[in-house]
Amino acid sequence: MIRKAMKGNVSLIAGSIMVSITFILLALSFIWTPHDPLEVNPEDSFAGISSKHFLGADKLGRDILSQIIVGSRVTLFVAALAVSIAMSLGVSAGIIIAIAKRKYQSPMVYAVNIALAFPAALLAIILAAVYGASTITAVTAIGLATAAAVAQVTRRTAHGILASDYVLAAHASGASTWRIIRKHVMPNLRASLLIQASAAVSVSVLAESSLSYLGLGTPPPAPSWGRMLAGSQQYLFVNPLLAIWPGIAIVIVVLGFNLVGDGVREVFDPTLRRSDS
Amino acid sequence: MSLLEVNNLTISFGNKKVVDSISFTLEKGSRIGLIGESGSGKSMTSLAIMGLLPDTATVSGSILFEGQELIGLSDRDHSRLRGNRIGMVFQEPLTALNPLMRIGKQIAGPLMVHKGASLKEGLEKALQLCTMVGLPDPDRVLRAYPHQLSGGQRQRIGLAIALACDPALLIADEPTTALDVTVQREVLNLINTLVDEEGSSLIFVTHDLPVVSAMTENVAVMQLGKIVENASVASLFHEPAHEYSRRLISAARLAEDAFSGKGGAL
Repeated sequence: MIRKAMKGNVSLIAGSIMVSITFILLALSFIWTPHDPLEVNPEDSFAGISSKHFLGADKLGRDILSQIIVGSRVTLFVAALAVSIAMSLGVSAGIIIAIAKRKYQSPMVYAVNIALAFPAALLAIILAAVYGASTITAVTAIGLATAAAVAQVTRRTAHGILASDYVLAAHASGASTWRIIRKHVMPNLRASLLIQASAAVSVSVLAESSLSYLGLGTPPPAPSWGRMLAGSQQYLFVNPLLAIWPGIAIVIVVLGFNLVGDGVREVFDPTLRRSDS
Repeated sequence: MSLLEVNNLTISFGNKKVVDSISFTLEKGSRIGLIGESGSGKSMTSLAIMGLLPDTATVSGSILFEGQELIGLSDRDHSRLRGNRIGMVFQEPLTALNPLMRIGKQIAGPLMVHKGASLKEGLEKALQLCTMVGLPDPDRVLRAYPHQLSGGQRQRIGLAIALACDPALLIADEPTTALDVTVQREVLNLINTLVDEEGSSLIFVTHDLPVVSAMTENVAVMQLGKIVENASVASLFHEPAHEYSRRLISAARLAEDAFSGKGGAL
């Protein structure tokens, strides 16, 4: 099944490789890192690529590779949690709005649009001001902000599905609203939800990096890719590699999840399959 | 008691009446054709019987089915009748099936909803139904997705779903309009045979006079939401009372003449 899905599906293959690299880094962070990522070593300040530091060291002489490996924890934790919040809230809100009576629909759509217009960074700043900057405030802000976008797309897609002939036909054969949601709306939403989820992973990884960069995310000293980028900008002309490594890591995760989302959609849609079981 | 009694049924959207106080009755085991151009209200009438009008529609009058008033019936109670006592076949076999669900499950659906069948029992019955509607290789069909079947095959599936629970009334809403002409004849014959065998009543909605004459003994001609003529097919052909009926008949004759080479001008 997996091998067949992979066959000729370039985005799925490339995406899976990139996502696997991220998860290998995550697993590795619990088992082994070349150095203690927080170990300060003044004589290695700005060390280049060497057998001691594979990817070099930062100003304080901390090993970059070790920081990247451990930084994957924050990135993936934030992405997983934020996407779970965004998808569960967004999808249920979207479906509820789509099946609601017409007169209740427009106020709910307005509410979603207002939530959508509210910038995630502002929400993160407010939360950080009230509760102190932490990974959890970043997750909450990213999750809530993404939920609005998910709700909007879900509502629109579900609306189209509910207006389709096969839903009318299902009503005509006596199916209840709940059965129609389970058997007809959800399966036909699946492709769109997968794309949204993979896009949401990318958005949350980027958002986490931006928030950490602004100092609104994971507080130091725990390594985070976003804060590594922030820390490196002062030394961009002294040692550009410092910015490039976390940048590459972020690109791999974001691109990987996007490609997987694209590839999986093709697997789930029987009309796009080249051959069938 | 008649199976279905429609009395002064009026359906409007805002202040626009799409069905204007129509009345007709249907005895058990008998058939009626609703014929009219698009926008004449014939599809709205069948949706009203099914209780599937959009919630922006306002309905008045009365629809008695097996002695039960359907107007004002809660959606929950209405859904007990749909697919169970009343089956419906739709116009577009292409879009009336869920593209992501295997055929077997779609036929088994009404049996699971109404008869409390398990999926396994539902699929067994679905296999019989596929044979009944004349699908070759029913085992393969049950495992197929809609896009793997032809339009005619899909319409047979639609018929199997509508007849799964042995309904007392079958509503066919232009079931052959979207099909090839050669396939149309086969599907019409099939509906004829099955409705006879099951002893169901039939409401056949169409805009095509020759088609309705092959299906029903009585016809209600609809125009702009009103029934303008209610007659047997034979008397409609011989002495159409209403201007619109005459136009329908001459249109049908025109096509026939063109076909047999008498038209010339066409």
